[in-house]
Amino acid sequence: MSAEMIQLKNVGKVFGQRRIFGGSTEFAAVADVSLKVARGQTLGIVGESGSGKSTLLRMVLNLIHPTSGSIHIDGQNIAALTGRNEKAFRRKVQPIFQNPASSFNPRQSIGAILRAPLKVHGIGTPDSRRDRVSTLLERVGLPAEFADRHPHQLSGGQKQRVAIARAIILEPQIVLADEPTSALDVSVQAQVLELFRQTREEMGLTSIFVSHNLAVIRQVSDTVAVMRLGRIVETGTVDEIFANPKHEYTQALIAAVPDHGTIMAQT
Amino acid sequence: MIGLLNDFDWQRWRLVLIGGTIIGILVICALFAPWVAPYSPYDLDVVEMLQPPSAAHPLGTDELGRDLLSRTIYAARISMEVAFIAASVGLVFGTVIGIVAAYFGGFVDLVLMRFMELLFSFPAILLAVVLMASLGTSILNAMIAIGIVFIPGFARLSRAATEVVLREQYVESARAIGMSHRRIIFVEILPNILAPLLVEAAVAFSYAILLESALSFLGLGAQPPEASWGNMLNTGRGFMAQAPWLSIVPGAAIFLSVLGFNLIGDGLRDVLDPHMKE
Repeated sequence: MSAEMIQLKNVGKVFGQRRIFGGSTEFAAVADVSLKVARGQTLGIVGESGSGKSTLLRMVLNLIHPTSGSIHIDGQNIAALTGRNEKAFRRKVQPIFQNPASSFNPRQSIGAILRAPLKVHGIGTPDSRRDRVSTLLERVGLPAEFADRHPHQLSGGQKQRVAIARAIILEPQIVLADEPTSALDVSVQAQVLELFRQTREEMGLTSIFVSHNLAVIRQVSDTVAVMRLGRIVETGTVDEIFANPKHEYTQALIAAVPDHGTIMAQT
Repeated sequence: MIGLLNDFDWQRWRLVLIGGTIIGILVICALFAPWVAPYSPYDLDVVEMLQPPSAAHPLGTDELGRDLLSRTIYAARISMEVAFIAASVGLVFGTVIGIVAAYFGGFVDLVLMRFMELLFSFPAILLAVVLMASLGTSILNAMIAIGIVFIPGFARLSRAATEVVLREQYVESARAIGMSHRRIIFVEILPNILAPLLVEAAVAFSYAILLESALSFLGLGAQPPEASWGNMLNTGRGFMAQAPWLSIVPGAAIFLSVLGFNLIGDGLRDVLDPHMKE
């Protein structure tokens, strides 16, 4: 067991291709990113739209592959995963995505959506899966009857609760959240964040939390990485970053928060 | 039950219902042809040849004295069968090719879609004739040939629809839980691209009827004495002046079935279009 649960070494991702005509359409979404997340810790990645945060997260999820560098999860290089190892990796690492409107197959009931991970990994019987879904729905603060509803019948906040439920149903060790609250009303944001925090603590999860919202990052993270144009410009603990931002971009970000006075005051 | 009928939005389903009624009647005639038709479609009666519509023969008789109504009803069997099989071949193969191309992308996409474009670049009737010439003349081969003509259309449509669905986060979520490609395609993608495909299928039905008629008219589809609207039209061509009903009757049958399927297609498009929902 290594102390570092997630380790990125010089990771880069270049999109596009060289064309026969019209030259190259290459674009570096992520360049030379090195990061570490210790077991049980939460890393917040902050940056504006297009800074490569989501691309980075998708690489850690092994949904897209880096064009350079390497990613190790629990000491294992994820580029080399095949067959059974890959299934084990899927069980260990789960995402929560940004947009509650498109996170769920509109043709399926919430119950079917939540049972799918168990089914794919051959866990339990149809009855035990049903029970587990009911328990889980209650755990994330939703009535068990929601299993029969369809995604369009739920509010944004309820959907994100379901998204958290789906992320933890396989009992993963790592949860990667891509702006899970940015599409929600502020009041609902706080509740979903609280659920995220609580779940993370109960399950001892290691996580990466991506957001453009500094206040949110500050609430959930142990360490923070500031990203800009595909590069990490500054890393540090929450207190270091917020109390004493070194890079001018970080300073600008903090200054740009409309209520940064209150953020500073919360220290 | 009453409540169900009251809740039903007749206005919204209007076109589908009108088209469905026309096609329903044609399908019933086709299925129950031996009971619906007053005569056998093959009974010759030289004395009665080229008779105009009368009480005994409501739509007249052809050049061999066969009852035209009976032949038209039996011909509906062939048309419906061809339409159904050909549209199904196009729908199934085209959809699978389109989804696979979009899902795997890259080289797979390139090869599959260039091949589809190759098929698409031939005029439909020419492609069908060439396929018939190489497969041999029979009604089964007509179904296959027409089905192949439909594949590129369905492939393009399903590829475009899949591209849209692939941008949805639930497909990424499915991959993140380790779902197999096959399951993602059939459970996550297919149900969400079905609506436009069904509309296209209804249009393909009407087009299949036209193509089958054209092939039979050219002598490549149903072979005499078997009745098909296409070969009936071909016969009628020679008697246009003496017996215009020989052309009008199968022509009207083709017109009605094409109209029916197009109404269903248009209607379904409106009903299934989320933007039309109030």
